[in-house]
Amino acid sequence: MARARINNRIRRLRFDSGEMTQEELARRVGCTRQTIIALEQGKYVPSIELAFKIARAFGMKLEEVFQYED
Amino acid sequence: MTISQKCAWAQLWIFGALVIAWLMLFIYNGTIFYWQDNTFKMTFYWLCAAAFAALVIMNVSAGILKSHRKEVTDERDRAIFRKASLWATGVSYTVVAALLLALAITYMNGNSETIPVYFPLFIVIIGGVTLLLTQAITALLLYGRKVNYGES
Repeated sequence: MARARINNRIRRLRFDSGEMTQEELARRVGCTRQTIIALEQGKYVPSIELAFKIARAFGMKLEEVFQYED
Repeated sequence: MTISQKCAWAQLWIFGALVIAWLMLFIYNGTIFYWQDNTFKMTFYWLCAAAFAALVIMNVSAGILKSHRKEVTDERDRAIFRKASLWATGVSYTVVAALLLALAITYMNGNSETIPVYFPLFIVIIGGVTLLLTQAITALLLYGRKVNYGES
């Protein structure tokens, strides 16, 4: 069975938000900087809760930050 | 590197140091078992105790740090360690079962029904060491790979 891919635009959105640092985003959503790095590299698919927190940190809807591909 | 990642590395270093110390002892004295003289037997056990103490101190320190500073660990660390623990449990149970079977077969073939109590004890210790080592190695491998929170 093929794995579904969940992509995100976190890196782009950070730069669009006044070049927000990974550290700053991590602090806002309550995770480690390593998790933000893993998310940006596509090495981690987060929980729904963390995904919502990230979207909220950018003032956007969940689907504007995360995209689901079959 | 997160605190959990540092702990996994520290665990590997502690076991690595213990294995090197044991190897040096074996090279110097040959095998160290319960029937041998007290000095070397005790050196072997003291090394085990020192490694165990180092593991306890490391885990307690990490626990204190994690409870005081929430940002040092998060859901990804927990997901990785859940997955690593599942692998480690499977591997260590298999190792213990295989060693117990091998021990039973060896003694049955030797027409003896009495197994020295040390052998099952060693197997339990080997099982514990396998559990911790497999958990540390799997966790470190997973830190470099893609992890899905929902799959752990």
